[in-house]
Amino acid sequence: MVDAARQPLIDIKAYTEVEKVEGFVGNFKVTLREKAKYVRADRCNGCNACTVACPVEIPNYFEMNLAPRKAIYVPMSQSVPLVYTIDMDACIHCYKCVEACGALEAIDFSMEDKIVEEDYGAIVVATGFGHFDPTPMTEYGYGRFPNVITAMEMERLNNSAGPTRGSFIRPSDSTRPKRLAIINCVGSRDKRYNTSCSNFCCMYAIKNALLLKQMHPDMDISIYYIDIRTPSKGYEEFYDRARESGIRFIQGRPAEITEDPDTHQLFIKSEDITLGRVIEREYDLVMLNQAAVPQPDQNHMSTVLNVAQSPGGWYMEYHPKLRPIDSPTDGIFFAGACQGPKDIPASVAQGSAAAARASRILHSETWQIEPTVAVVWPDRCVSADGKACGICERSCPYGAIDYEKGKAAVVITAKCHGCGACVGECPHDSITQLHYTDAQVLSQIHTLLAIEPEKKIVAFRCQWCSYGGADLAGTSHFEYSANERGLRVMCSARMDADLIYEAYRLGAGAVLYSGCHPQDCHYITGQITGAKRAARLEKMFERLGMSPGRFRTEWISAAEGEKYARVINEMQAALDAIPEEDLKAEIERLKPEMEKKLNKLNDIPGVEEAMIQVDFIVNEMLNKEVPV
Amino acid sequence: MSYLLESENLVEQVKAIPGGEMLMMCYSCGTCTSKCMIQEKLEPNYNPRRLIRETVFNLENMAFADETTWLCTACDLCFPACPQKIHISGVITAVKQLAVAQGLKNPYQTAVVDVSTCVACGLCEQVCPYEAVKLVEKKVPFRGLITVAEVDPGKCMACGMCSAACRSTSIRLNQEYNDAEIVQNLWSWLESEAMA
Repeated sequence: MVDAARQPLIDIKAYTEVEKVEGFVGNFKVTLREKAKYVRADRCNGCNACTVACPVEIPNYFEMNLAPRKAIYVPMSQSVPLVYTIDMDACIHCYKCVEACGALEAIDFSMEDKIVEEDYGAIVVATGFGHFDPTPMTEYGYGRFPNVITAMEMERLNNSAGPTRGSFIRPSDSTRPKRLAIINCVGSRDKRYNTSCSNFCCMYAIKNALLLKQMHPDMDISIYYIDIRTPSKGYEEFYDRARESGIRFIQGRPAEITEDPDTHQLFIKSEDITLGRVIEREYDLVMLNQAAVPQPDQNHMSTVLNVAQSPGGWYMEYHPKLRPIDSPTDGIFFAGACQGPKDIPASVAQGSAAAARASRILHSETWQIEPTVAVVWPDRCVSADGKACGICERSCPYGAIDYEKGKAAVVITAKCHGCGACVGECPHDSITQLHYTDAQVLSQIHTLLAIEPEKKIVAFRCQWCSYGGADLAGTSHFEYSANERGLRVMCSARMDADLIYEAYRLGAGAVLYSGCHPQDCHYITGQITGAKRAARLEKMFERLGMSPGRFRTEWISAAEGEKYARVINEMQAALDAIPEEDLKAEIERLKPEMEKKLNKLNDIPGVEEAMIQVDFIVNEMLNKEVPV
Repeated sequence: MSYLLESENLVEQVKAIPGGEMLMMCYSCGTCTSKCMIQEKLEPNYNPRRLIRETVFNLENMAFADETTWLCTACDLCFPACPQKIHISGVITAVKQLAVAQGLKNPYQTAVVDVSTCVACGLCEQVCPYEAVKLVEKKVPFRGLITVAEVDPGKCMACGMCSAACRSTSIRLNQEYNDAEIVQNLWSWLESEAMA
């Protein structure tokens, strides 16, 4: 911290809140609220005289409320920058601090919050995690029994700068505990509170136990656990060392802690899984290793930064395996536990990676994005005519569309990642996607279905998963029906209903609607948008009396080549099961329905000309003799 | 070891019975066992976690012979404590129903109906918390085809509510705590109190 403060290019804005973030990668405009400290940083020399003079005492949150602090304070003696702050909620305006400060005149009660706007090129979010409060878990008695403490309280009790100056005592009678129990998974891996594993608590429990064992070899320490998870380098060896030094590991989640009200001794009842028997043991002090939870204001910050949250409330990364540092918004990166609970080595690694990612932006003049961005035709957007719509804005996973009633929707190109969800969703075909325009995709469909369309299976594949799956089926030499005709779009969300109607209008035998598995989608919620549309289409085709098997929705990952081949073969089998005359009759019967749905297709700019041209070219080619 | 004979699909069978769906979610933390009053007061070998393990491994004979299958009273002390939100008594009841369906008898208590005196008033059916008593029509010796109460031993938890409610003493527990025994105990207790 001190090093960072001395570095001339680093500006630490302590006691400052982010109010608003606007703009995009390379051009963020951030509104900051610099909160009033009522102490002038340029005059305060950190002498502590004001704190000594202050008569107000309130619980110190930094010491987990185990010690008092004054109304004028610094959270800890190593604070950077070392400038005192007056807590106005606690201050009684006796002005003793002003007297104590004397000639320095650093204390200024007239200070007010300052709103400043700054330009930044990239943002690294490192807001950390919060702690689960175990009070609702009444079975462990936290808050009722003085000798049941949390891991953070224990951390302060054992700290040489803490409230007890490092002497480890129990709260009820200030004696040193002889028998200590550590309970893991308090509120984590628990469907009633937090489903996920908090990642670092196993190691944390072992660390605390070893630390105490080294300082007090006579202390009897037991760790209650469900599973001990020591996956990283050197962790298992650390676990070995703990067992070697005599720390007792008890597999079994305690059901209940009871207390002797006179002596405040605690009794833990748990099943010892290995014995298969319930055991009850007496302890002087119990430490609860509570779950790591998102910061209390994580929801608020996620709206300020326009960053989505994963289930559980953590910030959601771009891709859980391939881009765990980037946020879905270009130029915003995550470091540490704000993205999910992680231990110190992982946090440091992610922090360094985030800094490297951010410096890439700061050191480049221009920023390249995928060319497949969405573009709005302002004259076609119904919002410009004053109609309420906003479907494109709701479908965009990146918040890249600005929608305002009365104005045509606007795509912020720098934020657009080119999934095409807005294009697929727009009911008025007012948005198009460069390189995947309706005219281009329709031309492909026309070409693919030029000869004997009723025998063809048109497979809509998403760029990232099902196209890769089809590729793998090919390179692995899995045999599948040669009647399959593949067609690539960026995401299943781009598979516009119009494209599928057109395929059926041209007489396609079957259509496959395929994309990533929901958890693998490269465009956050693109697959969800696509899956909803596919379900809608399925229902409609069923109502129209389409034979089963002619429309199929499948989620196929890039590793599932075998599945791709199987699905296509199954579709071919389903198609073969329909007698040819019946199929042709059905196609003819459904044609007017499809035409009805497509009556506005030719209004889309470029589509009519493209159709004329593609049909001309296809016919020319078909009339020509193909050289053998 | 006949105990280790695996059944093909005990897991699926248990999951198909309402209450047993969450069976596979158990990660063996032992909270249910240490919460259990039967384990604490009656039978130290009683262990719902172990029963779930036996079921998960399809160890049918072992699960059906386990006292846990037969002694659970569905008090549901374990249910709110389970971190995986498994309805443990639901799983145990499901195993018990499967055991009874295979013709096994509860080695411990269960309610029995004296069909010779039952008047089919339906009080027992109303008070039973486990829906184990039903009025059915069946042939009874010397009385012909009449409606009488019938106990489903797969659901009965031997609480004795039916026995207490019955006005014609036609339903009682099969081993202990019949009306005469309780009255006698009560008298002896009253007498000892009076003597003191």
